[in-house]
Amino acid sequence: MSGDLSTAGQILRATGLSAGYDGRAIVHDVSVEATPGKVVSIVGPNGSGKSTLLKSLVGVVPVLGGSVSVGDTDITNMTPERVATLGVGYVPQIDDVFPPLTVKENLDIGGYLLPRHEVAARIDSVLEFFPRLKSMMSRRAGKLSGGERKMLAMGRVLMLRPSVLVLDEPTANLAPLVATQLLEEYIRGFAEKGSTVLLVEQRAKAALRVSDWTCVLGGGRIVLQGPPSELENNPMFVESFLGGGASRR
Amino acid sequence: MSVFLSSLGFGLITAAVLAIATVGFTMQFAVTNVLNLAYGSVMINSAFVTYYLNLHAHLNAWVAMIGGVVTGSVASYLINRCIFTPFQRRNLPPITIVIVALGVDLCGTFGLQAIVGGSYFNYRQSPGRQWHFWGMYFSTLQLTIIGIAVVVLALVHWLLKYTRLGKAMRATSANMNLARNSGVRTQMVISTTWIISGALCGLAGTVFAMDTGVFDATSAQLYIVLLLSAMFLGGPGEPYGAMLGAVTIGVATEVSAGFINPQYKEVIAFVVLLGMLMFRPYGIFGKEKTL
Ligand SMILES: Nc1ncnc2c1ncn2[C@@H]1O[C@H](COP(=O)(O)OP(=O)(O)OP(=O)(O)O)[C@@H](O)[C@H]1O
Ligand SMILES: [Mg+2]
Repeated sequence: MSGDLSTAGQILRATGLSAGYDGRAIVHDVSVEATPGKVVSIVGPNGSGKSTLLKSLVGVVPVLGGSVSVGDTDITNMTPERVATLGVGYVPQIDDVFPPLTVKENLDIGGYLLPRHEVAARIDSVLEFFPRLKSMMSRRAGKLSGGERKMLAMGRVLMLRPSVLVLDEPTANLAPLVATQLLEEYIRGFAEKGSTVLLVEQRAKAALRVSDWTCVLGGGRIVLQGPPSELENNPMFVESFLGGGASRR
Repeated sequence: MSVFLSSLGFGLITAAVLAIATVGFTMQFAVTNVLNLAYGSVMINSAFVTYYLNLHAHLNAWVAMIGGVVTGSVASYLINRCIFTPFQRRNLPPITIVIVALGVDLCGTFGLQAIVGGSYFNYRQSPGRQWHFWGMYFSTLQLTIIGIAVVVLALVHWLLKYTRLGKAMRATSANMNLARNSGVRTQMVISTTWIISGALCGLAGTVFAMDTGVFDATSAQLYIVLLLSAMFLGGPGEPYGAMLGAVTIGVATEVSAGFINPQYKEVIAFVVLLGMLMFRPYGIFGKEKTL
């Protein structure tokens, strides 16, 4: 599915990571590792620090303790623009496009680090992936529907040819069918072709279905983690996220 | 009718000068997030550098203008580097920077006055022959200024729309964090924006002085009112809006000056600005920042 869009992955690793705003930690002592070919997901209630964790990995929020690395490179507190040069693509939960720029210009910026002569071909491959965007290349991103906008946000990050994808709730606001397709075909597809995917997903069931490993964040700490098959049978996880055991498959 | 047409002619020249100035001013605001109230003082200081090159280095005024452009560029870059950036780093509310800019403006204007004194100056430059179309009169000098404005606006359009730097500037303006996540070195983009918009400021200052004919250190002191009016009319942060806003304000102030006391030019502009803020706070086209 992900054809020529995928790129060989690198390990993204956080070790004993603390991060937060104004010197106050919100995420405490988190260690996660995302490896090539795998999808690692993070679930947890609102305000548990999922977005803050991702932001600290990509350099948007300061790391207060511990370390982050990509492959062999230490990226702790590296600027976001340098993290991008290492092939780490990040889609934030909100503000995930450039509203006044056209769809085409959003993709151009996504390909900012590519050699110039490769940008046009890369846009073509991304459009093959999200054909819906083809007919709206000259429309301003601010005028897209929520779903089209998410596709553009994904398209923008894929332009970078990322080896590591860090995605904050990529399916928010999407119609259930589109959300499922995005997760289970596209995102799963990238991992299967060798990319590294770290994903925040509100809907625990969907997260389990697409992941190889899931971490549960609570109060800024990892309170539970494991492969989906294990979490599905963990009474505490079922209680908090799958609705009291009623929804077991 | 003839008063109207001749003031329309004046309006077009004022508009040309204002358009160059407003595009630089708006670009600064959109990309760097600084409402640079010191813009007028950088304009007049640049105009004086052109003056010294013109009178004392005996350069043709158009050649001397290059000195004015460079001055605007370097001064704007340095003001940002040495004054605005340190304040911005402290995460102070945006109003702080506005007040700092106001202080820089006063220092720039009265510092200049301390150096050049209170007298009036003019470039050694002939306005050239008179041209007459449709009841409007233009000198060769004025037509040249209008021509420069058209070329500059076209270049700015090309920069923003078709170059990698221009797209990076617009991306930085729209969503700085996402631009960084895409690999754009936004600090460099912002510095470059100061250099380019500063060049526009220096150019605007020089053509402003050429158009005025006779000027002193405080001549551009109220210019900020025209700039703000033109910018808000077009929508803050909208360079295309700024071009249209400048033409509207330029023509409106000069045409009204044809009928009432020309002393009230800035007042007219200010009334237009107040009306805009009341009814269309994001300008005729703007929604929010839309560079
Ligand atoms: N810019 C900020 N400055 C200060 N505190 C913040 C900031 N952004 C988030 N927070 C706080 O950090 C905590 C964690 O927020 P975060 O966005 O990481 O949660 P989340 O798990 O992603 O929630 P959601 O599921 O709602 O997206 C919250 O209590 C929030 O109020
Ligand atoms: Mg979040």
